[in-house]
Amino acid sequence: MEMNATSGGAEGQREIYHLKPENKDEERAQHSEDEQEKRKEKMGKKTLADVIQEMKTFLWNSEKREFMGRTAQSWGLILLFYLILYMFLAGMFSFCMYGLLLTLSPYTPTYRDRVSPPGVMIRPYLHGFTIAFNVSEPSTWTPYVNSMHHFLQAYDDNIQEEKNIECPAGQYFVQDGAESEERKACQFKRSQLQNCSGIGDPTFGYSTGRPCILLKMNRIVGYRAGYGTPVSVNCAIQKGNESALKSVDFYPGNGTFDLMYYPYYGKLTHVNYTSPLVALHFTDVKKNDFVPIQCRLNGEGIVNDVANDRFLGRITFTLSIRM
Amino acid sequence: MGKKRSDIYSVEIHGTQDPEKTDKEDEEEKYKDLKGNKKKSKKTEDLKKELDLDDHKLSKEELEEKYTTSISKGLTSARAAEILARDGPNALTPPKSTPEIIKFLKQMVGGFSILLWVGALLCWIAFGIQVAQGVASAFDNLYLGVVLALVVILTGIFAYYQEAKSTNIMASFSKMIPQQALVIRDGEKREVSAEQLVVGDMVEIKGGDRIPADIRLIFAQGCKVDNSSLTGESEPQSRSCDFTHENPLETKNIAFYSTTCLEGTATGMVINTGDQTIIGRIASLASGVGNEKTPIAIEIEHFVHIVAGVAVSIGVLFFIIAVSMKYKVLDSIIFLIGIIVANVPEGLLATVTVSLSLTAKRMAKKNCLVKNLEAVETLGSTSIICSDKTGTLTQNRMTVAHLWFDDQIYSADTSEEQTTQSFDQSSQSWAALSKVVTLCNRAEFKPGQENVPIMKRVVVGDASETALLKFAEVILGDVMGIRKRNRKLAEIPFNSTNKFQLSIHETEDPNDKRFLMVMKGAPERILERCSTIMINGEEQPLDRERAEAFQTAYMELGGLGERVLGFCHLYLPEDEFPDTYPFDTDSMNFPTSNLCFVGLLSMIDPPRSTVPDAVSKCRSAGIKVIMVTGDHPITAKAIAKSVGIISANSETVEDIAKRLNVPVEQVNKEDARAAVINGMELKDMTTEQLDEILINHSEIVFARTSPQQKLIIVEGCQRQDAVVAVTGDGVNDSPALKKADIGIAMGIAGSDAAKNAADMILLDDNFASIVTGVEEGRLIFDNLKKTIAYTLTKNIAELCPFLIYIIASVPLPIGTITILFIDLGTDIIPSVALAYEKAESDIMNRRPRHKKKDRLVNEQLAVYSYLQIGIIQSIGAFLAYFTVYAEQGWLPNTLLGLRVNWEDDYYNDIEDSYGQEWTRYQRTYLQWTGYTAFFVSITIQQVADLIIRKTRRNSIFQQGLLRNKVIWVGIVSQIAIALILSYGLGSVTALNFTPLRVQYWFVAMPYAILIWVYDEIRKLFIRQYPGSWWDKNMYY
Repeated sequence: MEMNATSGGAEGQREIYHLKPENKDEERAQHSEDEQEKRKEKMGKKTLADVIQEMKTFLWNSEKREFMGRTAQSWGLILLFYLILYMFLAGMFSFCMYGLLLTLSPYTPTYRDRVSPPGVMIRPYLHGFTIAFNVSEPSTWTPYVNSMHHFLQAYDDNIQEEKNIECPAGQYFVQDGAESEERKACQFKRSQLQNCSGIGDPTFGYSTGRPCILLKMNRIVGYRAGYGTPVSVNCAIQKGNESALKSVDFYPGNGTFDLMYYPYYGKLTHVNYTSPLVALHFTDVKKNDFVPIQCRLNGEGIVNDVANDRFLGRITFTLSIRM
Repeated sequence: MGKKRSDIYSVEIHGTQDPEKTDKEDEEEKYKDLKGNKKKSKKTEDLKKELDLDDHKLSKEELEEKYTTSISKGLTSARAAEILARDGPNALTPPKSTPEIIKFLKQMVGGFSILLWVGALLCWIAFGIQVAQGVASAFDNLYLGVVLALVVILTGIFAYYQEAKSTNIMASFSKMIPQQALVIRDGEKREVSAEQLVVGDMVEIKGGDRIPADIRLIFAQGCKVDNSSLTGESEPQSRSCDFTHENPLETKNIAFYSTTCLEGTATGMVINTGDQTIIGRIASLASGVGNEKTPIAIEIEHFVHIVAGVAVSIGVLFFIIAVSMKYKVLDSIIFLIGIIVANVPEGLLATVTVSLSLTAKRMAKKNCLVKNLEAVETLGSTSIICSDKTGTLTQNRMTVAHLWFDDQIYSADTSEEQTTQSFDQSSQSWAALSKVVTLCNRAEFKPGQENVPIMKRVVVGDASETALLKFAEVILGDVMGIRKRNRKLAEIPFNSTNKFQLSIHETEDPNDKRFLMVMKGAPERILERCSTIMINGEEQPLDRERAEAFQTAYMELGGLGERVLGFCHLYLPEDEFPDTYPFDTDSMNFPTSNLCFVGLLSMIDPPRSTVPDAVSKCRSAGIKVIMVTGDHPITAKAIAKSVGIISANSETVEDIAKRLNVPVEQVNKEDARAAVINGMELKDMTTEQLDEILINHSEIVFARTSPQQKLIIVEGCQRQDAVVAVTGDGVNDSPALKKADIGIAMGIAGSDAAKNAADMILLDDNFASIVTGVEEGRLIFDNLKKTIAYTLTKNIAELCPFLIYIIASVPLPIGTITILFIDLGTDIIPSVALAYEKAESDIMNRRPRHKKKDRLVNEQLAVYSYLQIGIIQSIGAFLAYFTVYAEQGWLPNTLLGLRVNWEDDYYNDIEDSYGQEWTRYQRTYLQWTGYTAFFVSITIQQVADLIIRKTRRNSIFQQGLLRNKVIWVGIVSQIAIALILSYGLGSVTALNFTPLRVQYWFVAMPYAILIWVYDEIRKLFIRQYPGSWWDKNMYY
């Protein structure tokens, strides 16, 4: 048995013999390098000069002609490798993106579940939802008025008449046909906003403390607002004294979005589409106070009570009119 | 002597030898060096004073007076309790450990924690500023800060818990066997736990007991102690109650704590307990030897530095870019937080801890108990093992190895479980020899072990007799029966003057009325008494030729390092010695010369059968095995040869000298691969000479060394930049165990002090277990590499979104919270699963890793993970991101530069590519859908990443896709967590997940496949062109 044991050992050693020559060289090489290191260590802690010298050698080792540990050839190869790799990846990514874009229709988004039901916005919009001005100081309300005028430019009667067609009211303006065909848009004339058109009163009532605010429902491709019955708008004090808001006038009609403005066919084909508006004319609002007002859309398919989204089917703004 | 004893160590070293002054100073310096500070030398002074023990000089009465005790009645219980309260329990205080709270706080600030704390702090600062500015989303930052702080605290608690758990394993281990002591108190004998012993207690000891405290012997009968745990000399020393030496360490009437009583009985008075014992003082000194950082700790630190460096530099770079791109400083700070969170692998350190503890568990199953988790890997990087011989390489029991009869040497089976012996047993000489072996033997099996395998039975008797008894039992069976049938009439036991043992028996043959006298002993003494020799059952005259044959055999067996015994017998003539002859052993009224020589048996403590294999495994694994033993050089060399530490065809300088017949000095030392160094030579060696030996010889045996010299050897090895593993069992080994990179204590034979000093405990004392440990250690190093590579990869996919977000001003592709869900959610189980990966075939065929060159995280690993796989992942995830936005109406070109408007809370009618208008919340929800898609894509690609990380060189198909089941558990868990997050928790707004359309799960699939294919190609080239440019740059 002992014999077995020794022979077992010998077997292992035979292998070692094969390994030996190359290993020994390696070992020596290692030793010599290690010794160099050790010598360095023996000389004491590395001084700052040593560190700088080391950095210099790392940056440019003139002995081995190495820049940051690699020779020019080595750098060339590695950069070439990454160039090829990244070019391949860029190509593959472009190909995938191209494939993705092929699956998309330029006229209708694949999904519209995140953008509907529609949100609501108001004009004037000066980066905030507090409309505060002093009637006696025109400089406080001119920006609002300018914003309104700017926004309503596209609704000028002559522009609308020139670009858009008159549609039959009270029904959806459905335009079948090839998707790529250009769609006609229905006229929404500024004059329809009556007292809030800025035509009669170019200050939209701001100069008299009876401001107009325009309410706009967000556009959604193919969305048929109200499912047959026009969506209407109502406004109320959000919190607090109901008497602060005595009367609001709605234009056009009774504050409804007519069905003929729907559906929207998308920016590409429905070029001259102008969103229908509802003007809110606050004729009697408590002055010299902050009056929080919430306006809601009402109609089938409209959601206006989601806690997270305060602009979904409703909008809240504050009026502060000083006399 | 008193002055020379200034250091407790020198007492041990030169306890019985004559100390040479110069040498001694050298050594003292060494120890001072070791201790590292001067405080210790003051402590040594104290120790010196305390060592002036004079109890051994006192008479019994003086002792009684000194300790206010009674030799016959012992202490009273009340008095004992009083002293116990004063002195504390009789146990070694474990080495002072760091307070728990410090350990805990260390976990809180270690690793990446600082970086995350900075992140959390920045979050809160941003929150404060935003609240002051009245920004609606300010609370997001508060929450993120809280989450980051929680992450740090939870991972800290986890790491702390893991560490505490592994320490507990150790604690439970040392408590496993409570030692009992037989003590006289209140005039009664009672068993108490050894911890309860106090100074003045009277204790009784018998053979086999461990001495429970330092004891002044009052009464002793045939008492022998083994002081090896104190001095390293395993030769039994007799103990009596006589004061024989001034030096308390050498006098016979003191027995020391933790040494063993081998035989006999004794009663003594406890004079020192616990830390006051000699051993206690040594142990407390040993704990002063500093513990160096483990290699894996250094590696992890290195890795943390790399990642933290990348995080901070990218963070700062982009902070500057953001500020110069006219972003608000506050926004830039928030970007900075995102970049830090994306860059830091939050879960990784916890994963590493789990992987290490899994390996520790696996190793515990293989009999390696790891005290310090990090030691798991240290074992793997071991390049030199300094191993004990007795018990570690050998079986720690004498066994018959060779027989010589009929002019021929036979080998016996020396394996652990010998059941039969296969040498030729037909010769009549063997029959005679077996009879002598059986009868001339006083050892007996303890009764009641009929069902126990012979080799495992407990025997009463000394080592060689035990060996002979078992040998006979294996071959003949029922030795006790044979002895009964051959009734013993007279006997002379072995003693050191006549060096033989003799007994006279009746024979079992009823027709043979002769008596048989059998004798065994030192071969030359036996031969002197013989005139004939038995050859093939025939008695033949012992002429010169036969005597020379005997000499040759004797020399040969002796040369194998074996203990040789000679056997002879004589049938006493019936007429001279009738039935009733009164044998008298004192007057020896029977012939003791002109006997018939029967044969020789030689015994050795044989190597464990698994050891040669283990040693050759070490060889092929590039680990140098050095034997360090207190044993005789010849025996040491023989064992070294038989286990392969010295290979069959290598020679020492002395061998070469002998072969070439030249003086030793003329031999070229480089020619000798092996070296056997005697402790005495070592003593006179300079450091340079020792270094030279360690470098020039690949096979080294240190014989006759003291445990202290072991420390010198370890330091020598460490000077060669080796990672040194040291085995040891004695108390005196503890400095060497501490000094070693990994100290391995013996679980069975080891003393508590050794176990305390060690990093690992070998439960079965078997060298082969170390090798399995090495294998596990190497495996875990490889697997940690894989885990880290896996974890780092997705950092790029988490980081790129922020960079693109800042540069291209697109809506944020992935949120900080979502990143945390990847790092601490989907990725955790898979990265632990990699720890279960089996080795790629070559693990024990390569050299141990070089401490400074083979890093855990090297350039290749970082570059391959970050710049190749990481980039592919980012691209795949961005594809999903763009897909989600495009299908909802936001074409990629619209997204560019959109950020400011997109994030404007007041802007509730932004137009998309189709002219649709979006409210802020609708956009946010879409953004979360984007997060989810990005998250899912990273997860899907991480599945591919996980699969490719199974191997670094081999193809996945070589490794076996299904072999590691845990990987699949990981993959399933990964996908399950993603599903739960998306569909289950999609409605919880705070988490920023949304239920995702099914098809988006597959968008990144082509890139997942690309990752796999690309990596297979990489591995293929690595295997095909080893050493090529590709191999050098792509193998991590």
